[in-house]
Amino acid sequence: MSTLASFHWGWLLGAAVIGLIMGWVSIARRSEGLSLPAMRWTLAVIAALIAIAITRLLPGRLGYWLELGLLLGLVYLVGCVVGAWLRERVVARAAAKASVTGS
Amino acid sequence: MPDQRQPGIFKWSRRWAPGLIPLVILWALAGWNGTVPFETGLGVQGRAAIKDMVLDGASIMVEGRDIRLSANAFSEEGRLSALATVEAIPGVRLVNDATGLLPEAKPFVWTADRDVVRVTLGGTAPLPAVRARLIEAARSDLPGVEIADRMTFARGALPRFEAAAVLLIDQLPRLKEAKISISDGNVKLNGMAIEIGGREAITAALKNLPEGFSVAENIVQAPPYIFRINKDPVAATLTLSGYVPDNNVHAAIVAAIGRKFSGEKIVDNLKASVGAPAGFANAVMTALGSLSRLSTGSLVISDREVKLSGDALYEVAANQLRESAGGSLPKDWSYKADVSVRPAASAVDSTICQQLFSELLGKERIRFESGKTDISPDSVGLLDRLIATTLRCPSTNIEIAGHTDTDGDDAANRVLSQKRAEAVLSYLTRAGLSSERLTAIGYGSEQPLAPNDTNDGKAQNRRIDFVVK
Repeated sequence: MSTLASFHWGWLLGAAVIGLIMGWVSIARRSEGLSLPAMRWTLAVIAALIAIAITRLLPGRLGYWLELGLLLGLVYLVGCVVGAWLRERVVARAAAKASVTGS
Repeated sequence: MPDQRQPGIFKWSRRWAPGLIPLVILWALAGWNGTVPFETGLGVQGRAAIKDMVLDGASIMVEGRDIRLSANAFSEEGRLSALATVEAIPGVRLVNDATGLLPEAKPFVWTADRDVVRVTLGGTAPLPAVRARLIEAARSDLPGVEIADRMTFARGALPRFEAAAVLLIDQLPRLKEAKISISDGNVKLNGMAIEIGGREAITAALKNLPEGFSVAENIVQAPPYIFRINKDPVAATLTLSGYVPDNNVHAAIVAAIGRKFSGEKIVDNLKASVGAPAGFANAVMTALGSLSRLSTGSLVISDREVKLSGDALYEVAANQLRESAGGSLPKDWSYKADVSVRPAASAVDSTICQQLFSELLGKERIRFESGKTDISPDSVGLLDRLIATTLRCPSTNIEIAGHTDTDGDDAANRVLSQKRAEAVLSYLTRAGLSSERLTAIGYGSEQPLAPNDTNDGKAQNRRIDFVVK
């Protein structure tokens, strides 16, 4: 996996950037996003794909592409988490400032 | 208020789905651009990893992170080690095992063929290193000769196969054409030696085959073993060329020439070499007698064939020479004669006739078996010349006079000399001369030529004289 990561680091960086952006904007968006059932399905599909990757069920290139996709997805998620966390910090600080100013 | 029950991260994550669209695009691009280079890199690493391993027909195919290794290994350990090596390459996910063991050859056959321009090594070799060493052995043994490698690999060679094969390759320089094979432990060798003696050298070398190998067939032809004598009466020379087996035979032949010929100069170009056919020395001795009866001609012995050609001194001699080699040749030998008769010389008067006899008998003597009345085979040439001279003297009566030295009893000496003179007369009449003008008389020791007190003198006195009456 580390070979895959080091070979595709540029693409992974791209995934991380997309993740950061999505995480950043997700805090401020008003949309509810995916419904709970859809979220469950999504998680189930991801879990299934991870299981397929671990058991090496898909042969050759398909297996390789699956692993690549999951790796990109993982980095994307990490990017989202970091982006959301950063934005949340910024929003919380701004809110604290406003409440101090407002009082 | 479900939102408040959910942790923040879960709430936000429901809004992350739109990012999956660019992510999928990114994924597709990464797959599109990166797959082939990734596979190529893995292939390079894989091939480098097995480069020095002992495998036949090894190939690596990469699909994604999976490697398919195809190869024939020379042993189970080698096969497992190759798989483990490929598996250990960083980045490899799965190794598809398409390896196997080399087939076992039964019988294990290896060949080496030589023709004029090239040596072809074929059949099976047990290991790449052995194959390389066999090719190297052929190259160093035969510089300038093309070495064609048609060997494949198989298991099942006998333990000391390489030593046996190298020993056989080492014989190739001695062969002009060859077909050599090793089938398990059986060595077969067919071919044509370049030089006389090559066949024997190869046979000797094959005795050093390693344990477990034996010669099943050794049919090497050698160039004919040639021995040749040319008799040139004008230059009075005998030119010897070709081969003799060793110095003893060489010396025996030169000694026999001294006895059978009348002092011709010998030009000796003989070389000693092994490879003479059985009975060579006996055949030469027999044929030398026939050559001594020719005025001019040659004797060629080629392997087991004796060929005599030239001019006999008279018709009866020619017929005798055409019929036989003048004695029994060894078994399996053949004799060919292409003998004509020298044109008869002009008749001479009695004075010249006597001179001619004296000249002939002055140079050499008619020899007899020791203490007996049988004419030695060494004297057939001289007798032919005496007969030819007699034929030139048609009107003369000739006395064949036998003499002895003083050793022994007078009466016995007289009888011996008489019988020896009669033996000569009988030989002459058998050659077609009329007995009417020939008389045989034994003088015993009455007419010595030299004092009988030395061995030399006695030898001079033991003689047959031809006296024109």
